[in-house]
Amino acid sequence: MRVLVVVLSMMIGAAGCARKAPETPQPTAATADASPPAATAPAKPSTAPPSTVANNPEEEGAKPPQVTTAKPAEPASPSTPAKPSASTPTAEPPAPATPAKPAPSTATAKPAPTKPATPAPTTKPATPPAQTAAKPTAPAPRATSPNPTLDLTALKEQLKSTKAIGLMTKLTLKNQVDDLLDGFRDLYAGKGKNTMPQLRQSYDMLMMKVLSLLQDKDQKLASDIVASREVIWGLLADPKKFAALDV
Amino acid sequence: MNRRIRTFAYSVLLTGALAAPSFAQDEDALKKDLTSVIALHGQPCGEVVAVKVQKENDYFASCKDGNRYHVYESEKGRVVVDKQ
Repeated sequence: MRVLVVVLSMMIGAAGCARKAPETPQPTAATADASPPAATAPAKPSTAPPSTVANNPEEEGAKPPQVTTAKPAEPASPSTPAKPSASTPTAEPPAPATPAKPAPSTATAKPAPTKPATPAPTTKPATPPAQTAAKPTAPAPRATSPNPTLDLTALKEQLKSTKAIGLMTKLTLKNQVDDLLDGFRDLYAGKGKNTMPQLRQSYDMLMMKVLSLLQDKDQKLASDIVASREVIWGLLADPKKFAALDV
Repeated sequence: MNRRIRTFAYSVLLTGALAAPSFAQDEDALKKDLTSVIALHGQPCGEVVAVKVQKENDYFASCKDGNRYHVYESEKGRVVVDKQ
């Protein structure tokens, strides 16, 4: 009995300790956010005071330092490109920029050209990350396309061995793949009830079923299949290549 | 003697405690598998909540929405879903 009590108490103690871990990362993040505003605030105090007073009451206590970093950027357009790269919350800087400037813009002509200038740098840093994120995905299909047969064999083995799909589901998917292949055979033999667009639709639906089963538990295989999707279709849609397939 | 019996009892309890989650995981995996199979056949189910194993690759599945299906592999190697 004593041993059981000791084991239970240790388990309870261990379970209690596991919950304390998430608390530590939060303070570190807060300190990281607080440090940049302190450095940027002294840089341009002239325009900052009026605008910060207007914006601080609106936002929370943690955000005011971020607003101060955005406002020094407004008066001088060259300073803005540096900051959007550092601060991800780009939505906040443009919002205060537009309401603050209309007042001075009516007085002088200079603020008008600065308006288009400030939104432009803010949007430019936002788009390059998106382009860079898209670029890594694009080279992957290009790299796999030269040798489709090898990919097909590897994908077949990976699909057989993946644990993301259960046995009965794999059997069902195999049945549906066989049905699709029969559809192509019938089409190329001239018996076809199905047309090529219909087969394409069936192919797309089958791909979606497979991907929906894989995407949560085996993302690598899912991305491999997505990458070789058109290559596989190329093999199926070409009668000569289809005849050469060992299926 | 008493000590040995205690040790044996503890080991049995520990084995049972460790083995129970793996059985539950297997059953959950089977339920998800059958849920996927039934969905792939276009039958309404929602989620399989209970499974009765008849034999290898032969199951009776009860769904959350009240439907029951006989899911099995035919002699031709095709997976069949029969509504009960």
